[in-house]
Amino acid sequence: MSDTILSVQNLKKRYGNKTVVKGVSFEVKKGEVFGILGPNGAGKTTTLEMIEALRPIDGGVVTLDGIDVKTQPHKVKQVIGVQLQSSSFFDKLTLRELLRMFGSMYHQRVHPDTLLKDVNLHDKAKAYVDTLSGGQKQRFSVASALVNKPKVLFLDEPTTGLDPQARRNLWELVQSIREKGITVVLTSHYMEEAQLLCDRVAIMDNGKIIALDTPEHLIKALLKRGFKKSRKVEQADLEDVFIDLTGKDLRE
Amino acid sequence: MRDIRTVWELTKAFTRRYFRDKVALFFTFLFPLIFLLVFGTIFGRNDTPRFDVVIINSAQTQFSNQFVDGLKEGDIFKLQENVTFDQAKEKLGRSEIDGIIELPSGFGEIDQSGVPNGVVITYYDEGDEQLAATFQAVLQSTLDGINSQFVQTEAPFTLETRTLQTANLTRFDYTLAGLIGFSILSLGIFSMSEGFTGDKKAGSLRRMQVAPIRPWQIISATALNRIFVGLISVALMFVTALVFFKFNMRGDYLSFITFVIISTACLFGFGMAIAGWAKDANQAAPLSNLVSFPMMFLSGVFFPVFLMPLWLQKVTQFIPLTPVVEGLRRILTEGQTIFDLGPQLLVIGIWTVVIYVIAFKTFRWE
Repeated sequence: MSDTILSVQNLKKRYGNKTVVKGVSFEVKKGEVFGILGPNGAGKTTTLEMIEALRPIDGGVVTLDGIDVKTQPHKVKQVIGVQLQSSSFFDKLTLRELLRMFGSMYHQRVHPDTLLKDVNLHDKAKAYVDTLSGGQKQRFSVASALVNKPKVLFLDEPTTGLDPQARRNLWELVQSIREKGITVVLTSHYMEEAQLLCDRVAIMDNGKIIALDTPEHLIKALLKRGFKKSRKVEQADLEDVFIDLTGKDLRE
Repeated sequence: MRDIRTVWELTKAFTRRYFRDKVALFFTFLFPLIFLLVFGTIFGRNDTPRFDVVIINSAQTQFSNQFVDGLKEGDIFKLQENVTFDQAKEKLGRSEIDGIIELPSGFGEIDQSGVPNGVVITYYDEGDEQLAATFQAVLQSTLDGINSQFVQTEAPFTLETRTLQTANLTRFDYTLAGLIGFSILSLGIFSMSEGFTGDKKAGSLRRMQVAPIRPWQIISATALNRIFVGLISVALMFVTALVFFKFNMRGDYLSFITFVIISTACLFGFGMAIAGWAKDANQAAPLSNLVSFPMMFLSGVFFPVFLMPLWLQKVTQFIPLTPVVEGLRRILTEGQTIFDLGPQLLVIGIWTVVIYVIAFKTFRWE
């Protein structure tokens, strides 16, 4: 049990008389990358925001690093980093100034330039956020979520809307964060992304978790049930063609 | 203690942003100055009205000549002499002049009691009752001045203009206090309804909510930012008043600065409560207007409170902007200190407590 850093039990959320999260339970181990997958409206973001102490918990218990989220939301916020689905940052402040400001909210003196270097934005220290490309913005968003040296990093659809190059770049970033020993919880609706990054995934639909395992086990279980792909699997797909033609270099 | 340090860091960040925002700078610093220059020019230079008047001196006594000289020395009348009565009548008809003063023959002749006497006749246009009333009042007060001062010394008939100037207030003094109050109000309320809700709508406030930060820290940091900006804006207006309009500061600067800080904090509370509660500018803007327009018109910013009906005067005392403008006026033009402003500070204090409680309770991150 000691290697469990996040435990979610029977988590519920109601809006009016509509229940959008219907008793979700799962555990995340220290140091793993945990994915929550599901179609739009499945309740992924709401689940995440309750864990992050951004939305009131209507039912159930969330414990993160031994802290009860419902009773000690501020203590939880100290040890987590969060990238919101649609992050926005103050205009007219440079990346460096923004990181310093975020650091001050955690009572931490930060080294903006080191953080920016980690996400490959060191040459943008004096730029404003609205001059960044989509991929750069996402990377800055990750950097801003790391100012407090969090134990758990939450990424809500980090690659949505990015081009293939920027997506790959962000995958590498997630892997380097994981190598630093930070636990990562992310949501996505790109399956190849989940398969590549996640140690374990939970598949959510309709406010409930309908499957939870490693990607390999989930695939094996499906094959065991006699599943066969209707088409012959190609050795490459269109994305491979795209990357082969346009290269892996970032365009920004 | 660490939370307060965070407030300070946020204040610095907010202030940095503010000074990079050209629109905000225009409305905070330049706009009040333009207002001040325009209103100052309209109300500032001539405190007393001047009348173009034809004087017909039919008496030509020593007394009447002295009377005319006396009128010339005062700055109320612009006299035209050597005009016949018929010419003067024509001029009056063309509105070239405001009136005619006639000193009939025999004016100023010494009677049995040894004192000169006589009747001054004034003519004015029939359609211009209001001007005529003022004109008459001015002349009457001039005569009163002469009568009351009537002693047989070397210059018995000099013109005493003191009777005209009501209280100590010039119109510019009145304008300045009102305009400072107005600029504090617009800084406190209007800059919030646009700027703060914009951040909220964009989601940058929600991004802050991710961190262990509480509404009071955001509210305090924004308040400090606006107080700082407000002080600079007021200082600019004040210097403009000194330089361009030769404003005569009668109060002490410490009281002035302290009072500006307290007033800004109070009025900002209204902007904060509105912007903190509103989801976007569409909600905040009408609410801001609803709160600030009655304040503007009822608090003596543009119209003196004493012109209002008595029952309304009693009500306006309790509107937060009234004690602000009143206090500024007392410091600036009457030389009172902050310690003389107990009633004003009481009203401001109560409003401050009430509005900040509301602001804390209704604050929304998104």
